[in-house]
Amino acid sequence: MLFQGLVGLSEAMYLWLVAAGLSLIFGVMRVLNFAHGSLYMLGAYFAWVAFRVSGSFWVALLAGPLVVAAVGWAMEFGFLRRVYSAPEAFQLLLTFAFVLMLDDAVKLVFGPVYQSPPTPAALSGAVLIGHSVLPTYHLFILGVGALVGFGLWVFLEKTSFGLVIRATAADREMARALGVRASRLFTWVFILGAWLAGLGGALSMPVRAISPGMGEFIIIEAFVVVVLGGLGSLRGAFVGSLLIGLLHAYGLLFMPVFELALGYMAMALVLIVRPWGLFGIREG
Amino acid sequence: MAPRRGTTRRRFLKSTALAVAGLGLPRALGGATADLKLKKPIKIGCQTILSGPLGGYGEFMRKGATLAMEEINAQGGIGGSPIEISFRDEELKVDVGVKNARYFVEDWGADFLIGIDSSAVALAVGEIMPSLDRVLIVTHGATEKYNEDLVFKRHVRQCFRVCVPVYQDGIASALVSKDLPVKRWATISPDYEYGHTSWRMFRAYLKRFKPDVEFVGESFAKFGTVDFSSHISKVMGSSPEGIFSTEWGGEAVTMVKQAKLFKVFEQTKAFMIGMGAAMDVLQGLGADYPDGVWASGRYYFGYPDSAENKRFNDAFRKRWDTYPSYPSETAYTAVQALKKAVEKARSVETEKVIEALEGLDLDRPAGKCVIRKEDHQAVYAVPWGQIRHDPKFPMPTLTNLKLFTTDEYYRKPPFAPVEG
Repeated sequence: MLFQGLVGLSEAMYLWLVAAGLSLIFGVMRVLNFAHGSLYMLGAYFAWVAFRVSGSFWVALLAGPLVVAAVGWAMEFGFLRRVYSAPEAFQLLLTFAFVLMLDDAVKLVFGPVYQSPPTPAALSGAVLIGHSVLPTYHLFILGVGALVGFGLWVFLEKTSFGLVIRATAADREMARALGVRASRLFTWVFILGAWLAGLGGALSMPVRAISPGMGEFIIIEAFVVVVLGGLGSLRGAFVGSLLIGLLHAYGLLFMPVFELALGYMAMALVLIVRPWGLFGIREG
Repeated sequence: MAPRRGTTRRRFLKSTALAVAGLGLPRALGGATADLKLKKPIKIGCQTILSGPLGGYGEFMRKGATLAMEEINAQGGIGGSPIEISFRDEELKVDVGVKNARYFVEDWGADFLIGIDSSAVALAVGEIMPSLDRVLIVTHGATEKYNEDLVFKRHVRQCFRVCVPVYQDGIASALVSKDLPVKRWATISPDYEYGHTSWRMFRAYLKRFKPDVEFVGESFAKFGTVDFSSHISKVMGSSPEGIFSTEWGGEAVTMVKQAKLFKVFEQTKAFMIGMGAAMDVLQGLGADYPDGVWASGRYYFGYPDSAENKRFNDAFRKRWDTYPSYPSETAYTAVQALKKAVEKARSVETEKVIEALEGLDLDRPAGKCVIRKEDHQAVYAVPWGQIRHDPKFPMPTLTNLKLFTTDEYYRKPPFAPVEG
């Protein structure tokens, strides 16, 4: 029973990494990045290439997300910043165009065959919890997710750069008036968001089949998570991810017929009762 | 037979390079059959899954159909008319599948339809075939409702199928399982028609063969599942001795990898994956595929040991630089069956081609087969086997092949209901 929840939480960690970046970018830049799932996919592919070249999972885990961060920089610097003043629909269209282009680019370069490097030996063991077997890799994922959460909290709450980010998210005009160079800040936030999605993808590489379009499934769930938790709220993204993970795991156990609908039902409920999300800030 | 096959192969090798040009000068290269004065070109619409985590699967179907087209065109087409095949992504969605079928026939001008991976799509497209007035040959969707209900009971005569139905996943699997030292079975399977109908059939037939079995757990995963962890932990909570699964494509790859992490293969005595011997799964899992897993498909490249299968394997590997997967064979066979039927009917008219296809004998890579007149189902046997890692091959292969006759495991008209 409890074990099922633990497994659900470990699944939720990939979602958390993607949702964190998505929420961060929206919070600061007010851009809903449809292509965030594609950055997750790129994280998996780049990590896979790095694995092929180096033979080391750890190198792959380091290199993959960094390359995705560079792609994030190119996306922001080359394209997104040109449409900040355009209506939101144009921004959405642009990021959606990236989804299609990146999917096809990956298909072109790597082919449609599922890639799947082996799980690193150090993490392919398992621990016994009661009578149930929990893979070491799942413990590792739980650890990484918690670590990233803690790291983001320290970064945003305890550093001066984090302070600037929070200030800009709270009031863009005021921050600008006080001398914050918003354009440079936006670039850095987008790079950080892309890195988080890339990290999620890199972590999924040895345990999930990598395929073009793999980002499309996670982006929908990530949207549910940020709506649940509140657009722009990292705490909301964290709690939202865990909630979706638990709903999925326990839904399978107790009401498998409705499992698919549970996340959406939770989202609909939040939208009715608290439209700004569990941890979002009410606007206006 | 032998010398003729040799010349055909040589001619094919020579003409592969000319495949595109061959479209333009079919008469010069072949001309074995007389010009039947049919419309030119003969158009075949093929839909299969070409995107997402199962997209690698459809890629193999595209390769098989394309190879058949190139071979036929290099030898003069069908009665002097070259074939043209168009591919569309089925997305495993009923509305998309129906839209594709309508587009193919009404806008593109298809003479025949082939393909379809999803059972639900096969049933939905099957429903509209009388109004579209075209022959549909399904090459993957496997629900028994297609041949048993749609064709046999409701006489939708336009519908045919050249791949083995869920009898492979649900009945041949039970024949393998009855001799395994496993009493407690559980499943992790796709949450749609194919997954549910296979599991229902497996339970009904295994219970018949071995009455003391128990079915202790089940977890059905939606299409697009990227993580099977909570499905695995749920099912393992019921302490099964054997796992039966009909996951396929990239989802089968993910499931096996994660089952391995959860030490499922150490905790159970048998693991069966109906479509586990598909080439995309063999290649996708590679070294990670545990030895001894029971797997099958709708064709396995290593069976049978026949001249036609060897020729097909050679031609496929030469053209695509990979071993063929089963949808490659079924799509290849669908196109070849259409050629044979059109030549027999001397027409592309739906009614005449239907009559020609009924009872048609085929010498296909998967073996000799006949298209059963009553339910328009191609009848041929495919083995089950156990995964092993043979250094002679770049991917895992099957060993300990278990073969049953079609008489043993194909359900027959009038199709008594599957109880259970």
